[in-house]
Amino acid sequence: MTAAVSPIASLFRTCPYTQKKVHKDAEYLVKVNAVVSVVSLLVGAIAALLLVLTRWQAVHLLPATWYYRLLGVHGMNMLIFFIIYFEMAVLWFTSTVLLDARPVTPRLGKAMFGLMVLGSLLVEWTQFSGRADVLFTSYPPLKAHPVFYLGVILFAVGALVVVGIFFATLTVAKREKTYEGSLPLVVYGAMTAAIIAVITLLHGAMIYVPTFLWSVGLIPAVDPQTYRLFWWALGHSSQQINVAAMVAIWYMLGGLTVGAVVLNEKVSRSAFVLYILFISMASAHHLLVDPGFGPAWKIVNTSYFMYMAVLASMIHGFTVPAGMELGMRLRGYTDGLFGWLRRAPWGDPGFSATVLSVIVFGFVGGITGVTIGTEQINIIVHNTLRVPGHFHSTVVSGTATAFMGATYYLIPLVFRKKVAYWKAAQWQPYLFAGGIFLLSMGMTFAGSFGVPRRHWDISFSMSPFDVQFNPTVDLVLAVMGIGGILAVIGALIFIAIAVKSVFFGEPIGELQMGVDVPGLPRGLTKPPTFPPDVDAINERLHAPGRGIGGVTPGTLGLVTIFLMAFMVYYFTNWKLLTVLWKVG
Amino acid sequence: MTPPNPPPAESPPLMQRLFDNVYLLLVLGIVVMLIVYTGWGMWEILTMPQGTLP
Repeated sequence: MTAAVSPIASLFRTCPYTQKKVHKDAEYLVKVNAVVSVVSLLVGAIAALLLVLTRWQAVHLLPATWYYRLLGVHGMNMLIFFIIYFEMAVLWFTSTVLLDARPVTPRLGKAMFGLMVLGSLLVEWTQFSGRADVLFTSYPPLKAHPVFYLGVILFAVGALVVVGIFFATLTVAKREKTYEGSLPLVVYGAMTAAIIAVITLLHGAMIYVPTFLWSVGLIPAVDPQTYRLFWWALGHSSQQINVAAMVAIWYMLGGLTVGAVVLNEKVSRSAFVLYILFISMASAHHLLVDPGFGPAWKIVNTSYFMYMAVLASMIHGFTVPAGMELGMRLRGYTDGLFGWLRRAPWGDPGFSATVLSVIVFGFVGGITGVTIGTEQINIIVHNTLRVPGHFHSTVVSGTATAFMGATYYLIPLVFRKKVAYWKAAQWQPYLFAGGIFLLSMGMTFAGSFGVPRRHWDISFSMSPFDVQFNPTVDLVLAVMGIGGILAVIGALIFIAIAVKSVFFGEPIGELQMGVDVPGLPRGLTKPPTFPPDVDAINERLHAPGRGIGGVTPGTLGLVTIFLMAFMVYYFTNWKLLTVLWKVG
Repeated sequence: MTPPNPPPAESPPLMQRLFDNVYLLLVLGIVVMLIVYTGWGMWEILTMPQGTLP
């Protein structure tokens, strides 16, 4: 006689590695969003290769029309489609799998996924056919075909409804008691990303709807200054969704790969709340040279309030590596300042991607972002290559690398396949993050010499006047070009691994624990466990008299280096400002 | 014999209850942005003096 299975229970399966309950509809939605995300990454990466080979002045590959067209394609695919589809997957995963919960209205979720895909296809069609050569920002009076704006609106509506389903799923999970007390920290981070997504998409709707009406001739004009105010609340805040989702993934992968512990729930959650309240105002960075806003609005938004979000990032930048260090020390890796780091599983792409994401996001993206977001310094940065140098180190080195690391765990956990080309997967994060690091450095230094962003030909070969750049620019643009090529190769390898694994991969088969299995991240087959005497180790680590290094001296040392680098870069830029803009 | 009354369940601290209130955080996030960035920004644009052509 077989036991009866309730209809609801039959909709779930139990993950053999995590013992989490996985709802079949939620699993489907995670899968399709992840697949479309990777397709968008492919389109964006091919455009990236062609663009970097054009900006590398010695190569200068594309004609002007296709350079500007593909710049728009690259922006939409990378900054909107790749990222937001992946974030939709994160929202479905965290609200259901991590809470052992069922998704609310999965049918509506599937319909909204279809709406998002339709919107994406309309945008792609208008961009590739030359009907929307208005760049990513589509500033009026540049006007695209109405279908372009319609596509963006459909995509945004679909995403907004999915975010609503996420909140409803959290509420139902609480009511059905699938979890007790507060949300787990990783879900809390995803919830933060969802709130920022609402702020972002509302502003997107407030500006794209009138712009669509303008494009079909129903209203006479869209004020460019008003457009910029609202558009950047979409354009920049959408990248803050990434930040919150990325930090949530840092916490998740830290726990899965090295048994990272949360140092202090209150502190980490307070940092997420600071994101909710203050991070969206960073949009004002893009308007620092706009004549329509006074200094009070600019400084309050980009300094006083925004620094609360910077504080939050610095909190996470400490608690994530410190949690990893404490987790490793509790497992017995207590030798020296960095013994825990030397003994870490560097061959696990989930771990290496997390560490690279934290380092490049913090050291390059964070430091440059805060510095160039200062109103006075912004004037020497505005519209130069330093700006894309900054955001490639945050969105790409930070977010995309973290998402890639998460994918290496999602493939076995959600798709139930082994990761194909395992050796390549083990060094792919290094190639990708290293390439983007070189690209960002090349862009940053070229921008410091005044090389403009979004510019097809900095030699001004067809202009009546001549502009000479410092010869160093040729060198740093070559660094940018080589870094870009390496990063694109890294991205294409990632895509090949993901496609092969998902569609043609080997099923995970029998559960194998305690051994290294090619194709399965170490955190799954040999999960980090604490020894029986973990309490004694913990007491020793917290014993009085350990000095100012405390429980996590290695991280404290790394953070000190970070703060010193921050100060040097920040004050160097003030010095540069005094050189370029003499007073008195 | 009647069982002893169970101790009253301790309520979480105020800040934890606030931080756990997803919808309160959602409203606060939207309101703060709408006031400090969007509303104030629109006010700056709308009160900008009209430029005079030479």
